[in-house]
Amino acid sequence: MATKTSNTNIPPILIGTSGYAYSEWVDAGFYPPGTGSARMLEHYTRFFSVTEINYTWYQMPKAPAMDRMRRKVPEGFYFAAKLTRTLTHEVDPDGWPAQAARYREGIAPLMQSGQLLAVLVQLPPFFRRNPQNRRYLAKLLDALAGLPLAVEFRHVSWATERVFTGLKERRVALVCVDVPDLPDLFPPLCRVTSPDLFYVRFHGRNAGGWRSGKMQKQFDYDYSEAELAGWSRQHIPEMAQKATTGIIFFNNHVRGQAPRNAQMLMAQMAGW
Amino acid sequence: MDRSIIHINVADFAVAVERVLDRRLAGRPVIIAPEGAARAVVYDMSEEAYQAGVRKHMPLGWALRRCRGAQVLSPRPERYRQAMARMLKTALPYSPLIEPGDDDGHLFVDISGSSRLLGPPVDVAWRLGRHIQADMELVPIWSLAANKLVAKTASRLVKPDGEYIVEPGDEAAFLAPLPLFLIPGIESGDLARLNDFNITRVSEACRLTIDQLQTIVDQRGAVIHDRIRGIDPSPVRQIGQPLPKIVHSIELGNDIHHRVQAEHSLYRLVEQAGRDLRRQILAARRVGLILEYTDGVRRARQTAIRPATANDFSLFNHARQVLDLAWTRRVRMRRMTVICDRLVFPPAQRPLFESERRHMEKQDRLVAAMDRIRRRFGSQAVTVGRTLVA
Repeated sequence: MATKTSNTNIPPILIGTSGYAYSEWVDAGFYPPGTGSARMLEHYTRFFSVTEINYTWYQMPKAPAMDRMRRKVPEGFYFAAKLTRTLTHEVDPDGWPAQAARYREGIAPLMQSGQLLAVLVQLPPFFRRNPQNRRYLAKLLDALAGLPLAVEFRHVSWATERVFTGLKERRVALVCVDVPDLPDLFPPLCRVTSPDLFYVRFHGRNAGGWRSGKMQKQFDYDYSEAELAGWSRQHIPEMAQKATTGIIFFNNHVRGQAPRNAQMLMAQMAGW
Repeated sequence: MDRSIIHINVADFAVAVERVLDRRLAGRPVIIAPEGAARAVVYDMSEEAYQAGVRKHMPLGWALRRCRGAQVLSPRPERYRQAMARMLKTALPYSPLIEPGDDDGHLFVDISGSSRLLGPPVDVAWRLGRHIQADMELVPIWSLAANKLVAKTASRLVKPDGEYIVEPGDEAAFLAPLPLFLIPGIESGDLARLNDFNITRVSEACRLTIDQLQTIVDQRGAVIHDRIRGIDPSPVRQIGQPLPKIVHSIELGNDIHHRVQAEHSLYRLVEQAGRDLRRQILAARRVGLILEYTDGVRRARQTAIRPATANDFSLFNHARQVLDLAWTRRVRMRRMTVICDRLVFPPAQRPLFESERRHMEKQDRLVAAMDRIRRRFGSQAVTVGRTLVA
């Protein structure tokens, strides 16, 4: 069973971006001119209290590096970390249990310090709901039990009541996504499956670029005030009533749109 | 601007290429060595053979005693060159700044400043690795760091497969716990001298000042001081833009194992290199020597020249020192190559002391006079006595 961190001082809703080290955010004006990658986290923490660590998807987290990173942030700053691709996208049928154990070891410094709010299990579009994948997901969630898990599906076949019930039984959060309206894509469903956590990801609504295979097109989208108002007035307050903590990330990183939209949503939330 | 350097490394490159060509070799211990040659040595080996104790340059007989079931294949350098060229082609869409290794499965790719076009550097590194895997069926190690030194060190940590990302600003902390022998550019002599002081780890060496390091490793103190802190400003060269260098080599028709003959051949090569340098009004700050033995083993050594020179006599003195370093085996030599690089304009500073200055000016006048004669009457018009015997 997944459990939430014991820190009781966590604000009920935290807003941030998926990753923070983008050199194009300097050109976009979010980071001051000349800010190097090494100084970006420090600057980021002045605006946001949470970030989603992306690079743990590319490589297995290493405890010393995680420990160094957590020490760079001020008190009251939190992290969500993506699960490594060898457990979601490039799974070795025999080797994955060892990979899961390595992930737990690597992420331990954040877990022990109470700075880890969630582990994001982002599953690929080709991961459809079938008996084999259902069994794998069940085993994976068991192997990662004890971590604050959130599952993001990318295929519509997982949008069924049985899946939500299964997640509820495990107290695993279902990631609510804001994505383009495309066939086969998991739809934006604001279901809260864990009383500890709700998790929202704004990917942008660039339908034309979504399947381009290029991040710079897929996540190139600028939300309008009106588009975010629906979330800040209705969906987020509703979810917040059903879970003690909510984390919201903007993944539309291209041209600094993510921090701009995150600040826009923060302003709207403060205004209601 | 921050730099983002990807290091791609296909471990045991020759074996990996052979395995792509012959799938039956997968999972079996493989040794690449010139099988028929007398005193053949190991050119490359698979991870399985490495685990059994086989090492590069080990005599093939020893290697086979350590790994009895190994499949021995003759080296096919042309295939490895082709594979390397294809790897380079695969990386081309990602950057014009790609520095390949010497047909050994290594590539440095500089993707600094391209994130608006290509996406975050880490995503580019991952895609490039996948691209090579899909295109060539080779599984490369990839690493991402702010410079070549740190990227290469990171690759060494995950060999034979995997990936490593070193966050910008994390270089010194990343290197600190590592043993010194993993740091590229710290040579065996440096390691031995540091070991005499019981310094075997980066964190231990980092406690020393440059002056203290120089006491142990002489002039290399400043270089080592930077390397153990992850400082490496060296650029990734543009494709097709090799470092300027002057290379001359000689095939020793009758394989030689005689000091005087070797020095005669060396002097001829130095003379040719010196003439090229003077023609381009340049001077070399480093001279290197590659010796190839009859059993296929290559030895490469080099030394710095201070001050930079283009004078044959001075170049030869340094080259002779390098010959002493490189010529350590009692096996006949087949080929000798002299490389003069780190080319600069000749230094304007003259020696401080009168006697040195007179000696240098005399040598410069002599070489200049020989150049004039050769230009007018041909390269064989005047020769130095020591080359007549060769």
